[in-house]
Amino acid sequence: MTGGLVSLLVMGPIFVALIALYMMSRITGGEVIFYLASTVILGGALGAVLLPNLVHSSLSLIATLMGVAAIYLMLLSEFLALVQILVYGGGVIILVIFGLMLTNAQDDPVVMDGSQKPFAFGVGALISGLFVAAAVMAHWGDAEATLIPFTTFGERLFRDFSLPIIIVAFLLDIAFTGALVNARRAESAASEEAAK
Amino acid sequence: MIPLTNFLVLSALLFGIGFYGVLARRSAILILISVEIMLAAVAINFIAFAAFRDPKGFSGLVFALFVIAVAAAEVGLALGIVLRLFRERRTANVDAANTLKW
Repeated sequence: MTGGLVSLLVMGPIFVALIALYMMSRITGGEVIFYLASTVILGGALGAVLLPNLVHSSLSLIATLMGVAAIYLMLLSEFLALVQILVYGGGVIILVIFGLMLTNAQDDPVVMDGSQKPFAFGVGALISGLFVAAAVMAHWGDAEATLIPFTTFGERLFRDFSLPIIIVAFLLDIAFTGALVNARRAESAASEEAAK
Repeated sequence: MIPLTNFLVLSALLFGIGFYGVLARRSAILILISVEIMLAAVAINFIAFAAFRDPKGFSGLVFALFVIAVAAAEVGLALGIVLRLFRERRTANVDAANTLKW
């Protein structure tokens, strides 16, 4: 509840400021969309790692992942944006919420944060700072993002990268078989428990 | 147009937030969510470099595609492990998985 209020209080003014700047034509439409998506991504990510309620965290994650799809669109790779929405919005989120429900997370103590919070904050800030410093200080030239058409990407994907795709298919197969075998109640384990 | 630096800064901030989540939260599912955030940051980086620096080659895009595929596999497998942990220990707290610790 309070988390949602805080995020509204933080993100609302940013939205209003962006739209006002756009009205005064200080920034372009593309920049408005980029900063809107960035606000949604970072706000959603902060909500996902800070909110005490696990269900709220996973709902914040949806905002982050959809914002990331918007960023992919801004980088002109529509295919990846669609894959992102399909795989994350349709698959991963459902799996995570199923996991929450099956592990009955509400019965756990609501906040399960360890004592290493300050340390974690320090390390996260350090890593972010290092990467931001590296990205800002490097000279990237003034190249522009170029559109990669659907058809070209598909052709290249299945002509030049067909072996990696087969390997990924095997990986997915093995991973989900392993998940099934692992999550299934093992017959021998159940009988051992009964014997005890 | 938006320069490459903005995308890299966004991805760096996102990665830091995910890293904080992995270290600070103790619920296995929240750690999984934080790992997803970190992977999304990495994929943004791959696609940004692919779009700005390497428009003819497709390595960045293909890498991002594989990051997404491996992330999906990882979520499925990790949730299987979490369910198993929950069944044995009645909790999803990773601190409860301490059998190898003494």
